[in-house]
Parts: sequence; C-alpha cells; structure tokens
Amino acid sequence: MASSYNNPEDFIAWFIKGDNLAIVTTNGSDEGTVHHRLGDYKPIDEAVTNGVLVHYYSEPNAALGIPGATGIDASPDLDNTMHSSLVDYVKFRLYQDKAGTSPDGNISSIAMAMAKNHENKWNEAIRRFGMKKRDKTGGPRRIMPADLR
Amino acid sequence: MAVHKLTIKEILSRVREVFPNAPQTYMISLINEALVEAGRYNTKVEYAKTTTVADQQWYAIGDESGADINKVYRVDFMDSSGDYVKIPRLLNNEIQTMDID
Repeated sequence: MASSYNNPEDFIAWFIKGDNLAIVTTNGSDEGTVHHRLGDYKPIDEAVTNGVLVHYYSEPNAALGIPGATGIDASPDLDNTMHSSLVDYVKFRLYQDKAGTSPDGNISSIAMAMAKNHENKWNEAIRRFGMKKRDKTGGPRRIMPADLR
Repeated sequence: MAVHKLTIKEILSRVREVFPNAPQTYMISLINEALVEAGRYNTKVEYAKTTTVADQQWYAIGDESGADINKVYRVDFMDSSGDYVKIPRLLNNEIQTMDID
C-alpha cells in the first residue's frame, strides 16, 4: 500500500531499543479515542510497502576461502587503502601464535616483538587513521601541491 | 586509471612470505576477524527498505534480520507521492504506550 502522509516528518519518528527499530506516529483523532489522540506517540498506523528507508553503517562482507572471483580472487570488502593493513593483522596474530607455541625462549620473544610491531601498525591504521584513510577527503581536496616559494 | 588493490590471494601470498606453512582456512578466518573489527569504524554505508504493518511499532534490525546493521544514522518514511522524507529520531526512546507484538 502507498503512504497517505503528505508530510511524514511532522508526524512520524523513530528510535531504537536493542535490536529493534521503532516507528511511531503522532497522527490520531481527538474524538472518543483511548490513547490515540493527535499528538500522542503510538505505533505507526499504516501498512506501507517499502515505506521505511533505513540508512546505516554495515559490516564488511566476509572473505571466502573458495576459488574464483567471489572467493580468494576477490578483494576484501574494505577501502583499498586498508587492504595492506589486513596483512598486518594476519601477521600480528600468526606471530602471537608462534610466540605462544615456540619452545625456544629467544624465538618466542622475537616473535612477540614482531607481533607487537604488526599490532601497532594495524591499530594505527584502523583506529587512529581509519577515518582519514576511509574517506580520502580530510581537509580541502587539494589536487596541486602547495606553492612553497 | 585502475586503482591498486589487493585480492585475498595476494594478502595470503604476502603473509606466506613469512609464514609459508600457515593454513589457508586459518588465515581466511583471521582476515574475517579483521574485517569485523574494521566494521566497527563506519567503513561501509548501506541502505535497506522495510514494509510497515499497521499498528506494529517494532521492526527487527538485528544480525538475524540479514541486514548486518551496525549503526542506524538516518531513517526516511515514504510520503504520499512516493518520495522518501527524513523523519526525526525520538531521543528519549520512551512513549506512553508500548506495543509488544
């Protein structure tokens, strides 16, 4: 069904509780209604096909280990500036494993140091510079180098 | 101009320069862990539509709904001419009546 609201922004609101999105309206009647007065928030009163458009931040798609263009020949579902950081994450975890399983104390401590090194690079990329690397537009969109004369 | 990017195979190859015997399944699992962590930093913007039901207040948006929503930042509602219009967010999350259907 289609919407009958000419100006939904004047009546309808949303909020979130847990894993649920609430759509409520203030539309109603003042004549003989119980908790359905105009101005009271209550559940949306219309069935509207595809009536709600939700904009959201999503999780990247999982990488698949299968052969082919949808598997290991595909790129990760991240901006390309973050691809090399994934190498750091995998090495960080593998060095951690090596440090934990090596019977040689020297190898173990070197592996731990390398794990820390790659962890720091990963954290720097994803946390400290994640926003800048993601949008590529931090500050003015300069396409010419600054004139330093 | 083509953009330089890495495939999963190239990422595995770079790791195998140092860990030649690392199992592929385990490395793919680690890559997916990294992707989940990266997802916490608003890396991917998506849109989804849902159909309202008369007198139903709640609509599931958890992981089981299949949308992989991390954070909703805007909601639009269709007006009578079929256009989507931004609707306000109710900040106190409380209304007088509570629909439990």
